[in-house]
Amino acid sequence: MDSAPHQTAAGEIPVLRLAGISKYFPGVIANEAVDLDVRPGEILALLGENGAGKSTLMNVVTGIYRPDAGEIIVDGYGVSFATPHDAIRSGIGMVHQHFKLVPAFTVAENIHLGWDETPRRITRDILETRTKALSEQFGIPVRPSATVADLSAGEQQKVEILRVLSRKARLLILDEPTAVLTPDEARDLFRALRAFREKGNAVIIISHKLDEVMDISDRVSVLRGGRNAGTFETRDCSPPMLAATMVGREIVRRDLRARRPDAKPVSENPVISLVNAGVRDSRGVMSLRDVTLALHGGEILGVAGVAGSGQKELTGLLTGLCTPAQGEVLIDGQKAPAGAAAFAEAGIGHIPQDRLHSALAPSLGIADNMALREYRQAPVGGDGMYRSDEAADLAKEIVEVADVKIPDLATPIRNLSGGNQQRLVARREIRIAQKALVAAYPGRGLDIGAVATMHRYFSELRDAGAGVVVISEDLEELLNLSDRIAVLCAGRLMAVLPAQSADIDTIGMLMGGRTAPDDATDHAADHQAGEG
Amino acid sequence: MAHWQRFPTAPAHLVFLWRMAAVLTTAVITAIALAISGRNPFELAELVGRSAIGSRFGLEDLALFMTPLILTGSAVTITRRIGLWNIGAEGQFYLGAAGAAAVGLYVPGPSLLVVPLMAIAAMLCGMAWILIPTLARAYAAVSEIITTLLLNFVAALLVYWLVTGPWRDRVTGALVSTQHIHAAIPEMWGVVHYGFPAALLVACGVSVLLGRTSWGYEVRISGANPGAAEYAGMPMRRRIISVMLLSGALAALAGMFEVAGTVHRLQGGMANNFGYLGIVVAVLARGSCLAVIPAALLMAFILDAGIVMQTQQLAATTVLAITGLVLMLIAAGDELAHYRPVRTTPPAGTIERNVSA
Amino acid sequence: MQRRKPVSKENGIFSGTDLRIGRRLFTAGAASGLLLPRTGRAAARLAPVAEEDALIAFGHTGPVTDGGWTTAHDLGVQAVRRTFPKLRSVYVESIPYSADATRIFRQFVAEGAQMVICTSGYGDFIKDVADRAPDVAFMECNGLAVTDNLAWYYITHWYASYVIGMVAGLITKTNRLGFVGTFPIPSVYASVNATLLGAQSVNPACTMQSIAINSWFDPQAATQAALALADSGCDFLCGITDEPAYLRVAEQRGIKAAMWNLSMRAFGPKAYVSGVVLDFSHFYVEQVRARLAGTWTARPQFLTLGHGVDRDPWGETVPREAAARADEMRDRILAGYNPFRGPIYDNSGKLRVPSGQVMTDFDIYRWDWGVRGMTGLG
Repeated sequence: MDSAPHQTAAGEIPVLRLAGISKYFPGVIANEAVDLDVRPGEILALLGENGAGKSTLMNVVTGIYRPDAGEIIVDGYGVSFATPHDAIRSGIGMVHQHFKLVPAFTVAENIHLGWDETPRRITRDILETRTKALSEQFGIPVRPSATVADLSAGEQQKVEILRVLSRKARLLILDEPTAVLTPDEARDLFRALRAFREKGNAVIIISHKLDEVMDISDRVSVLRGGRNAGTFETRDCSPPMLAATMVGREIVRRDLRARRPDAKPVSENPVISLVNAGVRDSRGVMSLRDVTLALHGGEILGVAGVAGSGQKELTGLLTGLCTPAQGEVLIDGQKAPAGAAAFAEAGIGHIPQDRLHSALAPSLGIADNMALREYRQAPVGGDGMYRSDEAADLAKEIVEVADVKIPDLATPIRNLSGGNQQRLVARREIRIAQKALVAAYPGRGLDIGAVATMHRYFSELRDAGAGVVVISEDLEELLNLSDRIAVLCAGRLMAVLPAQSADIDTIGMLMGGRTAPDDATDHAADHQAGEG
Repeated sequence: MAHWQRFPTAPAHLVFLWRMAAVLTTAVITAIALAISGRNPFELAELVGRSAIGSRFGLEDLALFMTPLILTGSAVTITRRIGLWNIGAEGQFYLGAAGAAAVGLYVPGPSLLVVPLMAIAAMLCGMAWILIPTLARAYAAVSEIITTLLLNFVAALLVYWLVTGPWRDRVTGALVSTQHIHAAIPEMWGVVHYGFPAALLVACGVSVLLGRTSWGYEVRISGANPGAAEYAGMPMRRRIISVMLLSGALAALAGMFEVAGTVHRLQGGMANNFGYLGIVVAVLARGSCLAVIPAALLMAFILDAGIVMQTQQLAATTVLAITGLVLMLIAAGDELAHYRPVRTTPPAGTIERNVSA
Repeated sequence: MQRRKPVSKENGIFSGTDLRIGRRLFTAGAASGLLLPRTGRAAARLAPVAEEDALIAFGHTGPVTDGGWTTAHDLGVQAVRRTFPKLRSVYVESIPYSADATRIFRQFVAEGAQMVICTSGYGDFIKDVADRAPDVAFMECNGLAVTDNLAWYYITHWYASYVIGMVAGLITKTNRLGFVGTFPIPSVYASVNATLLGAQSVNPACTMQSIAINSWFDPQAATQAALALADSGCDFLCGITDEPAYLRVAEQRGIKAAMWNLSMRAFGPKAYVSGVVLDFSHFYVEQVRARLAGTWTARPQFLTLGHGVDRDPWGETVPREAAARADEMRDRILAGYNPFRGPIYDNSGKLRVPSGQVMTDFDIYRWDWGVRGMTGLG
C-alpha cells in the first residue's frame, strides 16, 4: 500500500448505502439482507467466490435488477432505479468485465453513444475534440480516432472508464478489472483509481484476487452465499483471514472416500499425465500454462479454483478437446493421440460442464444421444453403418442402469429433466471410461439426490480402477469426495494437496493466488518427481 | 373436464392429420376468395382436379414437375440436417445443366454412354459451384446463405453467356439456346423420362445415407448441436464440406435431368425457380428426406394447378399466394399437432395419470 | 409461386435474374429449310369448327397492359372476340421461356382449344406440343418451324422503318441518329438497319449509334441510353422498346424521335416524328375465320406494309416536303418496290448484298449484321 486511506469523518454521509438488499431468482438466493456502505474517498473491495452474489448485487446498484427487498440510499436519499440510466444520473457508473463497447465504432463515438450531452451536430472532429478534452480532464489517455476493435483490452477498459467518468460518476464500480490486463496496465489502472479517490470519489472493485485487494482497497466486504460475511478495514486484514472468510467455515467435513473391500488399488502408474502442459486461447494468450499433473487409476482427483482459472483448458487437455500449445499429454505413459474421439476410444469419458449444449443433441432422441460414444464400433456402428435398432438397445441398457424413467426412446432428450440428462450422460461416459472420467461441475444445477447419485457413480468407478477427475466450485464436495485436490489460479496449477488433511484456509489462499507454505502442500512437482 | 395441453413431441399421425387439415383449409380459403371475385370455385376445382390428376397429361406433368423438385428439395434438406441452408440450388442447377450440356454437345456416342457421363459432369460442376461457399463456411464461418444465394445470379448469367456466346445454336439459329442435344434420358411413360424414378431413388438413397450410416449420424449430430459433435470428436469441418458438396451435386443433377430429359437444350432461364422451390419443399418436408417426395408432390400439384388457373385467366401470382397460404397453415398445423386433450385429473384419477405417464 | 421469370421486383428472392429476353427472340427449333412453305404435298387441313364450340387460346410473352407489344396483340384478340361473339377465347400472360411454356400450351390443348396462337417465338416448347396435338392449329409469332399444324407469322416492320428513316435523314442536322436497342437479335437488326438505310438513301452521310439496354421494358435504362445518345450529338432517336422513355428525353432535349408498337404521340408531341404501328386485328380475325371454316393451313406469313404494319401519321413538326418524299417511297413499296437492294455493305466494310440483288423478307427476317455506318449492337 503506497498511500494512506482517505480518512473519513464518522458522521460523513456515505455515497451509497445498501440496507437489507435481497434479490431472489427462481430457486436461487442471489442476495439476502446485504448491508453495505461506500464512503466518499475510499476504495471498497468486494470479495467473494464465484456465485457469491457480487455481480447480482452490483446489478441491483446499477439499476439492471430491482431488489426484491431492501433500500438503496444515495447521498442520504432513498432512490429507486427503474433503468440503468437512473443509476448513471445518480452518479453511479459501472465498468463490466465484458466491455459494453461497439467494436466497429471509434473511441470518440463510443464515448458519446447514448449520452444526453452528445451535441446535436456530430461530426468526426467535434466528437474527437470533445473526447480529447474529456481524456485530459480525467487524466485517462485514449486515442479518440482509434477504432475500438483495434484496441487492446487495457485500452478498451480505459475507454469504458472514461465513458463512465464523463457521465459524472462519483461512484465507480469495476468488475474484475485486472482480469484482462497485463501487470503494467493493472498498475496504471490502480494509479488512476487512486487519483479518482483523492478527489473525494468512491470506487467499488470486485475481485477474488487477495493480493490485489490488499494492495488497492481501503476496506473489504466479503460476500458469501449471497450474504455480507463481513466488512473490514483492509489494514486489519491478512490474506489467510480473507481467504477463510471468503471460503467460509460452514463446510461439513465428511469422508465419502470409503472403498469397497474388492476395490482395485490406486494404480502404480498414472493413466493420464500432463507434463508442463499449457493451452493457448483464441486470442493467443496462454490461458493455462506449465501444468504438471498425474491422474492415477483408482483415485478421485478434485480440482478447485475460482471460475475462469483454467478449468476449461485443463478439461480440454484431459479429454483431447484442446491440443497442448506447450508440454505434452500422456495416456498410460504414451504420447496421447490427437482429438476427442481418440481420447474417448482410449477409454477416457467426459462429463462436460454444460451437458445439454456440449454432450447432447437436444432435439434428437434418447437413442441417438446415447450412441454418441459408441457409434463408431459394432454393434451400433462398423462398416460405415449406423444401426438405429442397435442404438436403441444400447440406449435401453443405459437408461436401465441410470434408472431413469422415460416415455420412449424417440423423445427429444431436451424434454428430460436436468438430473435425468446428467444421469444418462454420466452412465454413457462411465461405460467408456476404462481408464478415466473427467467430470466438470457434475453437481451444478442438480438437486441433492442427483448429486449423491453422481458421487456414488464416481466412487464405483474409482473402485473399478479408473481415475476420476472432478472439477467443482463446491469445496465441500471436493474435500469429502476426492483423494487429492489440485488448486488452479489464473491458469496455473498452484498445488496438489491430499484432501483428507487439506486445510480450508490454505485452499482459499491458493485459490486467491497466494502460495501456501510449502509444508502444507504436496507439491505437484514433487508428485511428478516421485513418479518419474 | 378436458383441456388442451402442449406436448413436447408431435406424433406422426397427428402431424399428418393436421397437415391434411391445413391443405384442406387452403383449398377452402382459395375457393372462398375465388367465389368472392366472381368465379365458380367448384368448376375451377373440378377443372384443376381433372387436369392435374384426372388426366394422363396432368399426371405426366406432375411427374415432370416432381423430378427436379425432389432433387433440389433433397439438396436443401441435407444441408438442413447439418444446420446449414443451401440457398444456391438454383445456381447449382444451372451449373449442372451447363455441365451436362457440355458433355451432350461435345461427346459423341450413344445415349447409354453419354447420359451417365452427363450426370457425372453435372454433379462435378454443381460441386465446383458450391465449393467456394463450402470452404468459406467450413474454414472462415462465412454465412453460406449469402454466398450460395449470390452465386445463383452469377450462374444464371454464366449460362446466359454460354447460350448466346460460345455454345449458341449454330444449327437452327435458336437464340439463347444451344442446339438440340441428342443424348437423352429415355422416356418411360409419355413424356415422363427415367429421371423421375431416378429422383425417387436418389431421395430414398439420401434418406438411407442420413439415417443408416455413421456419416449420416455424424451429420445429424453436427446439425442438432455442433458443441456435441465437437465434444464427441466428430470431424465437423469434413462433414460440412461433404454435405454441401453432396447438396450441390443433387441440385446439379436436377439440372442435368432437365437438360437430358425434358428440354434437350441448355437455355437461359431454364432453372425456372426449381432451386428456390426446393427450399419450399425442404421446409414442407421438415428435414426428412423421404418426406421430400410428398412435399414435392404437393408443390408440383400447386404449380400444375397454377397453370390450369392461368388458362382460366387468373394471374400467375395466384400460385404464389396459394403457396404462401399452404406454408403458413402447415406451419400452424405442425404446431397444433403438439396439442392433445388432457383430462383434468380429479383426485380419483391419479392412478390413470400414472399409467399414461 | 409465380412460375415465370418475373419482371417485377416484388417477387424478391424468387425472382432470380431476369433472363427472359422476351418475345421475338426465342426462335429455337427449325432448320432453315422449314422457313419456306412446303412444296410437293398439300398441307393437311383441319376439320371445321362451329363458332359456339370453338376455343381459341392466346399465349402472350408479357402482360396485356404493357402498353406496347402485348397490348397491340391484345387489341387483335379483342377484335376476334367482337367479330365472333359466340366463340370462347382465353389468354395467358407472361409465359416464361421454359418447360412451363410447354405445360401451358398443353393445358390449352387439354381444355379443348382448336387453335393456339402465341405472340412470341417459343421454339421447341410449342413444337413439342404441336407434334402431339395434330388436330390443333398452332401459330407462333416470329417462329421458325412450319409443320402440318404449326405455322409462324411476323410483321415486315422494316419497310415502315425505312420510310421513317428517310425523314430522319432529311431532318437531321448532325447526321447522327441514335437507336435505343434491346438485344442483338434479328428483329432489332432489321429495325436499326432499315432505318439507317432509309436515312442514307436521302443523306449518305448519316450514321447510327445503337445502345442495347438488354430489356424490352426498362424506362430507367432507356432514359440513360437516350441521354447518352443525345449527348453524343444524335438529334434523332429511334428504338424498339415497349415504352416511351426516349421520346420524353427527345422532347426535353428538343430533338426528334420515332417510336414503335403503338402510337405514342401523346408522350412527346413536338418530338414525335412517327412510329412503326402494329395492328393484328384483321390478321387474327382472318386466321380464326379460316380455322373455323376448316380452310386454315400451316404456312409462314408476313403481315406486309399497310396490312398490319405501317408508319403512324407524321408528327406535327415534320416538314411537309420531307414527309412527302418519304410517303412517295411508301407508295412505291406498297406498289411492290423493294428498297433493300445492293450494294449493301456491313459495318466492317464487307459487301454483303451485291449490286443488282435484293434482300427478300426472309433474308431480312434473319438479319444478323449491321450495315455500314451502324455501331453499337452485338
